[in-house]
Amino acid sequence: MHSGPIDSTPLAVRDLGGSSTLPPRRRSQSKIGKGALPALAFLTPFLLLLLVFQYIPLAVMARSSVLDYSLFNPDNATFVGAANFIRIFTDAETIQSLLITFAFILGVLILVVPASFALAVFLNGKLPARALVRTMIFLPVVTSSVVVATLWTFLLNETGLINSVLATVGIPSAGFLTDTTQALPAIIVMTVWQQVGLATVLFLGGLQAVPAELSEAAHMDGAGPLRRTLSITLPLLSRTTLFIVVVMTVFALQAFAPAYIMTGGAPQGTTNLIIYHIYKTAFILQQPGYASAMALVVLAFAIIISLIQMRLLRTRWNY
Amino acid sequence: MTTQRIAEPTQLRRIPRTIVRFGVSFVVIAIIVGAFLLPYLWMVSSAFKNQTAIFDDLNPLSWKVFLPVGGTIDNFVALFEKGIGLALLNSLIVAFIQVGGTLVVCTLAAYALTRISFKGRGVVFAVILATFMLPAEALVVPMYGVISGLNLQDTLLAVALPWVSSVFGLFLLKQAFEEIPMELDEAARLDGAGHFRVFWSIILPNVRTSLATLCLVTFLFSWNAFLWPLTVVQSPQNQVVQVAIAQSVSAGELPNWGLTFAGAAVATVPLILLFLFAQRFFVQGLASSGLK
Repeated sequence: MHSGPIDSTPLAVRDLGGSSTLPPRRRSQSKIGKGALPALAFLTPFLLLLLVFQYIPLAVMARSSVLDYSLFNPDNATFVGAANFIRIFTDAETIQSLLITFAFILGVLILVVPASFALAVFLNGKLPARALVRTMIFLPVVTSSVVVATLWTFLLNETGLINSVLATVGIPSAGFLTDTTQALPAIIVMTVWQQVGLATVLFLGGLQAVPAELSEAAHMDGAGPLRRTLSITLPLLSRTTLFIVVVMTVFALQAFAPAYIMTGGAPQGTTNLIIYHIYKTAFILQQPGYASAMALVVLAFAIIISLIQMRLLRTRWNY
Repeated sequence: MTTQRIAEPTQLRRIPRTIVRFGVSFVVIAIIVGAFLLPYLWMVSSAFKNQTAIFDDLNPLSWKVFLPVGGTIDNFVALFEKGIGLALLNSLIVAFIQVGGTLVVCTLAAYALTRISFKGRGVVFAVILATFMLPAEALVVPMYGVISGLNLQDTLLAVALPWVSSVFGLFLLKQAFEEIPMELDEAARLDGAGHFRVFWSIILPNVRTSLATLCLVTFLFSWNAFLWPLTVVQSPQNQVVQVAIAQSVSAGELPNWGLTFAGAAVATVPLILLFLFAQRFFVQGLASSGLK
């Protein structure tokens, strides 16, 4: 209502234009008005699938999170209010799973960011077999999480390749996946191995956008290569770095195959990653209501991360 | 005298520096080969060995560990007798449905969002953008409910269908579509071409690279998916290859190493070959898929 006077001016102008008999203009205007129908036709398949497989599940999940039922008998559900949510923060196993997942994400980030940065700087320089090295570090990125987890189960086995290599230099064999203090670090290292190629490619893209003159100017002023990397390149890549942090966080948050294939959450729940915990709770323990409440908590965390990501993509950073 | 003084130290410093640089490069490349290539070589060579040969080469460590010395194809024969062929076929069918569906649905939607101006475009875009934040793996439980409601559980269609409306695919294409000058389709529209005609004969032929990227990346995602097919498929005859491998190694059981390596190799090597041939598309596509 209050916007009336502002809107009325362009409307009046448009009316004048319309009535002054300009056929081509009129035609194009009517086409814009008609745009809704073809647009709908083009958009319907996408939007329909989006509704059925994203929005409806979201609603179903919100509804399930306040219910107690089993997948065998979904009609026999009882309303439990916030009980599932309260249970999340009182159930020792779930608390442990959330903490383990958090430690997992942190461990992956701490290793993958410096490693991929170093690799990107290395690959950005004059290097023999540069393309070959890039291909090699990218192999795990295109390998499925199932095959990576399978391969690493055998690599880390007590009689596996890593222990065999350690034995040749006289180091006694380690349990890795069966040891409570080594299982999570082992899975972190595996995930870093799997993702470092992608992070390196993202850093390489950032590095190639850094103007060479800056580094050259610092070189003139007597800054060494390490100094130039730390004081010039790294600050200029802060946006790329944050972006990689977000991508890796979302990836690590969704990790499932390591727990399912390598450890089953053992030993003593030290690799019980949250998505695996949710899967078990819903499909093995038959408590989809409680699982949905946990998934909503994961979702909330992912949304916060994604909002940071979108903020990053939208803001232009000036140096 | 003076020139010599200046020239000498730089000359002296330059030679060791190139040697040092070469040495460092060599060490780094050696570490990368060791960490990234050797595990794959071990996987593929072990696939051609029986259990005893695998452990003999490991203890003590022998160079044969990375080569299929004394190879046997027994593992592969056993693998196909156990039905890996069907699992591979299922994975291929799922991937074709998913790639085909994604191509159709995403190109159409991207056209509407870039070429047709209509009221509410902003709202539609926001509705799509919002789902971008949902982690797929967290939605598996209610998605299973929806699939059961549609009576599609335990079908190959159910494995592929939820991922067809890919926000990543839409973004990738939207960006490509926006690079085509509007004058092109305006001229065609004036000549009387309808939207579908413009879409088919002007837009699509101009975005072939992006379509190829989307095809390859979608194929990769589909082929490598695990949690969703594990959840939605129960009967063995509808199992995809990743689930088949996972079940042959799952925690607690004592796996047959050679057989499991053979399964992993069969599921991975075709994809790696595809990657080697079309590396540019994969790297570009996956780097931008970080956006999802």
